[in-house]
Amino acid sequence: MSAHADRARRLAELAVRFGANVQPAQVVAVTSYVGKEELTRAIARVAYEAGARWVDVVVMDDLVKRERLALAPEDSLEFVPPWMSERLRWLSDERAARITLSGPQAPGAFDDVDPARAGRDLLPWLPESSEVINARTTNWTIVPGPTVEWARAVYADAAPDEALDRLWAAVEHMCRLDADDPVAAWTERMDELAGAARRLTERRFDAIRLHGPGTDLTIGLLPSSEWQAADFERCDGLVHHPNLPTEEVFTTPDPQRADGVVTMTMPRELYGAIVDGIRIEFSGGRAVRIDAERGAETLRAAASKDDGASRLGELALVDGGGRIGPLETVFLDTLIDENAASHIALGSGLAMGLSDPADVERMATSEIHVDLMVGSPDVDVDGVTATGERVPVLRRGAWQV
Amino acid sequence: MLDDADLARRLAELVVGFGANVQPGQVVAVTTAPGKEQVTRAVAKAAYERGARWVDVMSFDPWLKRARVELAPEDSLDFVPPWLVDRLEWLSRERGARISLSGPTALHALDGLDPARAGRDLLPYLPNTGAVVNRRTTNWCVAPAPSRGWAAAVYPEAAPDDAYERLWRAVEHICRLDADDPEQAWRERTAAVTVAAEWLDACRFDAIHLHGPGTDLTVGLLPSSTWHAGGSETAAGIPFFSNIPSEETFTGPDPRRAEGVVTATRPLHLHGSLIDGIRVEFRDGRAVRVDADRGADALRAAAAKDDGASRLGELALVDRAGRVGEQATVFHDTLLDENAASHVALGNAYLSSAADEDDKRLLNRSGIHVDFMIGSPELAVDGITRGGERVPVMRDGAWLLPDTISA
Repeated sequence: MSAHADRARRLAELAVRFGANVQPAQVVAVTSYVGKEELTRAIARVAYEAGARWVDVVVMDDLVKRERLALAPEDSLEFVPPWMSERLRWLSDERAARITLSGPQAPGAFDDVDPARAGRDLLPWLPESSEVINARTTNWTIVPGPTVEWARAVYADAAPDEALDRLWAAVEHMCRLDADDPVAAWTERMDELAGAARRLTERRFDAIRLHGPGTDLTIGLLPSSEWQAADFERCDGLVHHPNLPTEEVFTTPDPQRADGVVTMTMPRELYGAIVDGIRIEFSGGRAVRIDAERGAETLRAAASKDDGASRLGELALVDGGGRIGPLETVFLDTLIDENAASHIALGSGLAMGLSDPADVERMATSEIHVDLMVGSPDVDVDGVTATGERVPVLRRGAWQV
Repeated sequence: MLDDADLARRLAELVVGFGANVQPGQVVAVTTAPGKEQVTRAVAKAAYERGARWVDVMSFDPWLKRARVELAPEDSLDFVPPWLVDRLEWLSRERGARISLSGPTALHALDGLDPARAGRDLLPYLPNTGAVVNRRTTNWCVAPAPSRGWAAAVYPEAAPDDAYERLWRAVEHICRLDADDPEQAWRERTAAVTVAAEWLDACRFDAIHLHGPGTDLTVGLLPSSTWHAGGSETAAGIPFFSNIPSEETFTGPDPRRAEGVVTATRPLHLHGSLIDGIRVEFRDGRAVRVDADRGADALRAAAAKDDGASRLGELALVDRAGRVGEQATVFHDTLLDENAASHVALGNAYLSSAADEDDKRLLNRSGIHVDFMIGSPELAVDGITRGGERVPVMRDGAWLLPDTISA
């Protein structure tokens, strides 16, 4: 038992009972990685204690993936074993719970791999993943699973044990496990976010403009674009919290209308590679030019995956009241970093961000969904009304609506 | 100084290149467990280097099984997720290669749990594993993968680093990785065991009588029961070596004829439960009484799994020239321990263990296959001819081949 067993246990409790909201007799799928065994086991125990019928754990290993990327035949890299897709469809049919552990297993593992090859293997993300999310058949959550390798990448100056302790402490804080009652703390924060989302939806902006250093991007919304906080309902009404932590309100934009240029404010990990210093030019909704100081090929490969991959499927705003931004740390994990700052996503949209089925038909569909952080206190966010009027939405990270 | 990365690479190359004999363009499934990452990655690398199209790794964690056996609802314990069954059928249709890495990483993971509950979760063994093996659609290999957890169980008195090095050295020797040409060493050893197997085939014994301390068992054979050693072939003709190590020659007995009592000479590690001091009494081919000093309920639960689970599907003889028995070590791993000593298995038979179609239909069928070791130097093995004559087969662990045959 490690020094962090108690933290793992409390995070597992939050993930199972509040995040996925596991119900008695459910199948509970867990996607984990080598190195995250302690949290994985804790989740399995809590899930069975909550009445789970079967905890279905699949463990990925990025160092096995590295061998594939380095050595497998060129024409095999997009192959997805059929059982993975069948398993996801089965989980969907079973109305299962799904829990995924995030955080890079082996940061830098793919540094010496051809990024164009790395971008072709998207596993464990599956071609059917967005479809299942949009069908709202499963109650799911993603939580961070700290490991020493991840911690050392985040806190490069610290000794391994100290780095892991700091990462666990940060995760504990951002997941509000340090509150007397984490569920009550989350319920309160979700109420705030839901209020902001409701006010934004009521404004019925035609577009959102992001404006700051290196960024001047106007993103069109669809007539029924709804702002949401990340408290989801399954199609039968079961509530779940798909991301812990979450600090964002988000919507699904018009994939045909994005114009201007955007500069990322944080690096991210993408398919095992670090992508940093990204600048994307949009025209007519499409990313027509992608530059990056590091990892440009990886991002370009992802964006050329299919037609929707170069269009926007998500726009999310993060205010300064969250717990991640103030840490001023790059965690190299999208789950956490996307909740530090406002972000956009290339690829598939979320149907629940649209209230009109006709708009759902129009949203971006893609095999990919890649979040890119574009916000900072220096980036102003305005709403643009149908008549072209500009209304301040975020200034210095504070809500103006 | 232990270079475990180099040992893992050499082991992986033997398992991939010779054991499973991975072919260019194949899917390669790997069954592994936490703690065996180094060998798993080496296997993936070696497989891709040989042209594998996709290496499909599945890791089974004994601590997750503990959570399930301890906490899951009673009526859920036999559940097998359908996708695991379908995955194996897919591997069969794809003519995939299959590699399993053996050796318990957490021998005591199920300690203190109800063995009857533990015995109902046989994963990663699947209900269709026996059928797929018998279809001979996949080229496969089981081989040991040392881990620190396993080493601590085998050498509990040694310091962790020491135990880990000793286990690697033992596996290096047992797998003949210390030979100049390990593949050639295996071909030579298999040729020697094959001589014994061919002699046993030529004898066409009606039964085999095993007698020694605590054991007096007569196992009936089918008219065309065939003795096998080492190498196998897929239906399409790809040669493979299903177990590394393999020191045994084995056959499929008549599941209706086993009389007497056997006492296991080594403990058995069954799906996470340790079973020690096994005594089984057979009448008319059926295990009518199962006792053990420890873990009897787990074995009883397995033997009650289906009709064939209480009958014999395999009889295997191991001589003392093998490299596992000389270690005088209990490895708590069926693959190694079954190659240390003669053994019998409850449950499914290998269809290739009988030549005639009528006999193949008579071979035992079951969702389980549980080997337990009954051999020792004190165990005498005799063949009984159809005329009732008794022919000595093995004494003091040595084959008694006629002078005209030399191993």
